[in-house]
Amino acid sequence: MAIKSLQYKQSTFGISYEIVNPEAKVDLIILHGWGSNKNLMKQSFAPYMKGFRHIYIDLPGFGKSTCCKALTTEDITRIVEMFMVLINASKDVIVGHSFGGKVALLLEPKVLVLLSSAGIYINKPLKIKLKIALFKTLKVFGLAKLRSLFVAQDAKTLSEPMYQTFKNVVDENYSDKFAAYQGKALICWGRDDTATPLFAGELIHSLIENSIFEVYYGDHYFFLKNAKDISKKIENTFLSTLGGE
Amino acid sequence: MKLTILFGGASFEHEISIVSAITLKEKLKHFDLSFIFCDQDHSFYLIQAQQMKAITFSKAEHKKMPQLSLVNGAFIEKKMFSKVEHKNTVLNLIHGADGEDGTIAALLDFFSIRYIGPRVNASVFSYDKRYTKWLCEAKEIKSVTYEMLSTHEHKNLSLEYPVIVKPASLGSSIGVSIVKDESELDYALDVAYEYDKSILIEPFIEGVKEYNLAGYMANGKMVYSIVEEPQKEEFLDFEKKYMDFSRSEQVLKADISSQLEAKLRKTFDKVYKNMFEGALIRCDFFVVKGEVLLNEINPIPGSMANYLFEDFAGGIEALASSLPHAKRASVNYDYIHSISSAKGK
Repeated sequence: MAIKSLQYKQSTFGISYEIVNPEAKVDLIILHGWGSNKNLMKQSFAPYMKGFRHIYIDLPGFGKSTCCKALTTEDITRIVEMFMVLINASKDVIVGHSFGGKVALLLEPKVLVLLSSAGIYINKPLKIKLKIALFKTLKVFGLAKLRSLFVAQDAKTLSEPMYQTFKNVVDENYSDKFAAYQGKALICWGRDDTATPLFAGELIHSLIENSIFEVYYGDHYFFLKNAKDISKKIENTFLSTLGGE
Repeated sequence: MKLTILFGGASFEHEISIVSAITLKEKLKHFDLSFIFCDQDHSFYLIQAQQMKAITFSKAEHKKMPQLSLVNGAFIEKKMFSKVEHKNTVLNLIHGADGEDGTIAALLDFFSIRYIGPRVNASVFSYDKRYTKWLCEAKEIKSVTYEMLSTHEHKNLSLEYPVIVKPASLGSSIGVSIVKDESELDYALDVAYEYDKSILIEPFIEGVKEYNLAGYMANGKMVYSIVEEPQKEEFLDFEKKYMDFSRSEQVLKADISSQLEAKLRKTFDKVYKNMFEGALIRCDFFVVKGEVLLNEINPIPGSMANYLFEDFAGGIEALASSLPHAKRASVNYDYIHSISSAKGK
C-alpha cells in the first residue's frame, strides 16, 4: 500500500492506493463501492490480468484514504483524476463497482467496466418512504436524537462529512450520462442483486450504445466469485478496442 | 521461573507480536508463564494460557477476559470484593510502536515493574533508524551511507540507483522497497510514507552478505547466539519474512571464519554495552569487502530470536536475574526542613 496527499478545494486528502504489476504498460484503475475499500477489489482481481498495471484506489473517506469535508460524486471524480495525474496513470480501462461505477463513468475511460453500478434511480419501497416521513415529523418535535433508528444501514457509522456525502451521492440519476458515454463498456451484474437490481443493469446496457452485458449468478458482490471470468472478459473487451482503428 | 509475557500494542507489528507470544509459550513451556495482552486501545487483558491462539484476538474474545490496570510494582486485576496482583518479571514482547519506541519501557519503569527489554534510551536509538545512524557516528560503528527524506522536505536524491527505501521507524521490512531506477521511486516513497513521515534511503548493495547476531548481557558477561545468514531472495519483504511465521526451528550456523565472527561480536559489543542492558537484542549486519556494517538493531527481535540460541530458556532466566535497576531519587524534604528550621517554625 502507499499514500499520496493532494489538495482539492483548499483541503488535503490522503489517497491510499496500491499498484500491482508495476511494469505493465496498460493501466487498469479499479474503484470500489460505497462502504467498501480497495482490498476487497484487490483480493478479487490481483491474481488476473497480468498484462495490466492494476491501480487499486481507496476513494476519499473510505479504507485508508482521508476526507474531512462533504463531497459530491463530481468532487470525488476530480480527486481521482488529480490523483491519476500525480501517478501518471492513463484512462485505458476503469472498473467501478456500485458507487465506484458512477465515478468510473464520469472519468470517461476508453473502456468502462461496470460491476453492478449505481446511477439508476430506484423508487424507494413504501416502507422506507414512511420511515423518512416519520423521522422528518419527529425532527419537528425535536426528537432528532432518534436518528440512529432511522438512518440507512450504509450510513450508520459514517462521520458527519461522510454522511453529508452519502446524501449527496445517493439517489442520483445518471441515465443521461450513461447515454452520453462514447467509449466501449462492459457491464456485469449479479442476477439476484437487491441493492442495484438487474433491471438497472439492463437499462444501462440499453443506454450505452457500445456495450456488452453479462449476467452472473450472485448478488451485489457477485464479482467475488466470478473474478476470473470477468477478468477474461475485460481483457477481451480491451483487445477488441485495439486494431481496426 | 515465573514470567509474564506482555504482547500486542498499538503498532503495525501488532499481529507479529501475537505470533511471537504464541511461539514463546511453546519455547518456554517449562516456565510458569502468564500472558498480558495490550490491545490497540491500550487496555491490558490477562489471557489464559489455553486461550493463547491467534483467533482469540482476531475475534476480540480477549475483551471477555479480566482487564488489568497498573499500580506501583504490579498489574492488578480488580474483582468484586478483592484484587489480585501480578508481580512477575515482564518480558516486553511488543514489537514496533509502544514496545520498541520506549513507551512501554517508560511505563514499566514508572510503575517499578521489573522487565526484560530495552530501556527508554536504548529504545530511542534503535526504534528510529535515523537515530541509529547517529548512534553509529557517536560510537564509531560503521554503517551504510544514507539520505533522509520527509513529507515536509522535497529534495533530489544524490545516491545512485538501485536504492533501498525504508520508513524511519518500522521493523520487519514493513514499507521497505528496492528501487532500481527513478521511475519506481515515487511509488516506493508513497509506500513508505503510508507508515512514517520520515524516510531513510540507502544504496542497495547487490550480493551483500548479511549476518544476524543476537545476544544479551547476563551476570556481567556477554552471551552471543550463533551467527545466522538469513535466507533472502532479493531481500526479505514483510510477507516472506512472516508468512513462515513461527520460525522456531533452530537454524544452521552461518559458514564464516572465526575472525569474521569475532569482528561481528566486537561490533555487537559496541552497540550493546552501556545502552541495551536488560534486553536481548538482535543486530543485523552487512559485510562488504570484509568490513562489518551495522544495518539495524532489533531490541525486541521476532520470537526473541529464540532459534539462534542453544539454551534459550536458560538465557532468559539468566537475563531475568541480572536486570538493571532504574535509579530513582529519594525525596526526603531535607531542604525544606532546613529552611523551615532556620526560620524557627
